[in-house]
Amino acid sequence: MINIENLTQQFSSGKGIFGVTINVEEGEVFGFLGPNGSGKSTTIRHLMGYMKPQHGRATIKGLDTWVNQSEARSHVGYLPGEMAFLDGMTGLSFLNMMAGMQETHNPSRRAELIRKLQFDPDIPIRKMSKGMKQKVGIVATFMHDPAIYILDEPTSGLDPLMQHVFIELVLEEKARGKTFLMSSHSFAEIERTCDRAAIIRDGKIVATKNIHELQTMQRKSFNVTLGDEVAVEALLSSALTTKRMDERTVRVDLQGNYDLLIQTLGSYHVKNISADDQSLEQIFMDYYDQEEAES
Amino acid sequence: MNLALYRHMMQLHLKIFLGFGIGSAVYVSLITSLFPLLDDNMAQIDDMMKMLPDGMMRALGMESISNYGQFISAEYYGLFYLLILGVFSVMVAIQLVARLVDRGSMAYLLSTRVSRTAVIVTQMLVLISGQLVIHVLTFAGGALAARFLIDTERIALTEFFQINAVGFCLFLAISGYSFLISCLFNDEKNAFAVAGGVTFLFYGMNMMGKIVTKIDWIRHFTPFSRYEPGKIASGEGDVLVSVVILGLIGLLSYGLAIFFFRKRNLPL
Repeated sequence: MINIENLTQQFSSGKGIFGVTINVEEGEVFGFLGPNGSGKSTTIRHLMGYMKPQHGRATIKGLDTWVNQSEARSHVGYLPGEMAFLDGMTGLSFLNMMAGMQETHNPSRRAELIRKLQFDPDIPIRKMSKGMKQKVGIVATFMHDPAIYILDEPTSGLDPLMQHVFIELVLEEKARGKTFLMSSHSFAEIERTCDRAAIIRDGKIVATKNIHELQTMQRKSFNVTLGDEVAVEALLSSALTTKRMDERTVRVDLQGNYDLLIQTLGSYHVKNISADDQSLEQIFMDYYDQEEAES
Repeated sequence: MNLALYRHMMQLHLKIFLGFGIGSAVYVSLITSLFPLLDDNMAQIDDMMKMLPDGMMRALGMESISNYGQFISAEYYGLFYLLILGVFSVMVAIQLVARLVDRGSMAYLLSTRVSRTAVIVTQMLVLISGQLVIHVLTFAGGALAARFLIDTERIALTEFFQINAVGFCLFLAISGYSFLISCLFNDEKNAFAVAGGVTFLFYGMNMMGKIVTKIDWIRHFTPFSRYEPGKIASGEGDVLVSVVILGLIGLLSYGLAIFFFRKRNLPL
């Protein structure tokens, strides 16, 4: 459905994207991970026909996204990364304008989306909070029931509850056979929806993996608080990567080997386990470390 | 063009269009209603005007005030009108493209099946519609004031219409190159500075050429030289040639704007 072949665009600053290749199959949810400024948005701009590739090409349903940009866009629901609406419009008049341009009015679907995301579309956009604006954007993207969704950092600005609603929405559409390309700098968001993900860094794709591979690659840290000294000694002397934090607490770093932790702790009294959140940056670092170790 | 986009863009800008249009209409009708007061003493006023320096008179387009057209040219179309419409053309041309590109809103307009050509043609039509609204209201203001506020047969509506028509074409040219500049820049402020600067430069060159007769030729490089309301009023101006030349500059600029907007990379 979405094919990006060897796409290159170098800016005068020397930054850009270099030889990006991504294939997204029909019905697949594809995650596009990378730190800010790594080239996610630049790649997406090519898919929307905003930029002419210096090398390579991108197609949507076989349509070249530069040469046949409007035909290619007609299959797409696009959520831009920046929420920049027109001044002086209400949410509703913006949605009306977008519906007119999409040429598919589906008032019941729109009303359903507004109900799910719980916001008042009659407020002037200028007075809306960041989260509310993002909701208006999401409705505009989903309301014409496109076959393909291209979402640039879709959950930025949404509170955790609405992030959950949004993920539900993506899963519903996925169940209906829709295709997604979704960029993010949050691994958690990608983890819950995507089948596969590509990691981009400094404009180059460093890995394209299915989500389970990425999950096992991801290192997680747990702080385990134990009941007595015997248990602490047992954990420290196990094959796990451990570090004693204080008298009764040990930090354990895991990378896929969850069973070993469960077995080791099985016969002891555990007072508390808390997970350290791992940032995407950390995942990248782990990934690069691994690459270097292998080479 | 795209009708849904046109409708919403017109809604969004209607306040500005009506603001400038009604302001201009009220001013013209006020000045028009003053005309009979002057008309009675026309000979003396004309004599008095002759005492003022020639260069200054030419610069303000008040070579002579012996009929309504010349009067309204001197009082409005020679100076205020140019300032008001100049500000309007540059400002709205920048708002309709460069601002949307700079702020990223253009991403929404270009996220649907509507092509770049259709989007930019629609924005162009919004700008031209705005100018049409202002000119129609201004002409209506003058004509209605002449018909209902004052009691004189000396209001020459044909010449008054011609002044407005040539004025409309002048601002078609000015809004045209402003729109072209708006389509070329990523940064709203730069686009505004360049479009405003060029317009100011043209206006200044025209003024210089009028004041200093030795460098009269300098005026031919500005669209303002094809707009001489005083001469139209006294029947000396070649209205048709002006309309054609200014219209062509406008068409060419808008055409280039569409061409470049279709081809360029957009930082959205």
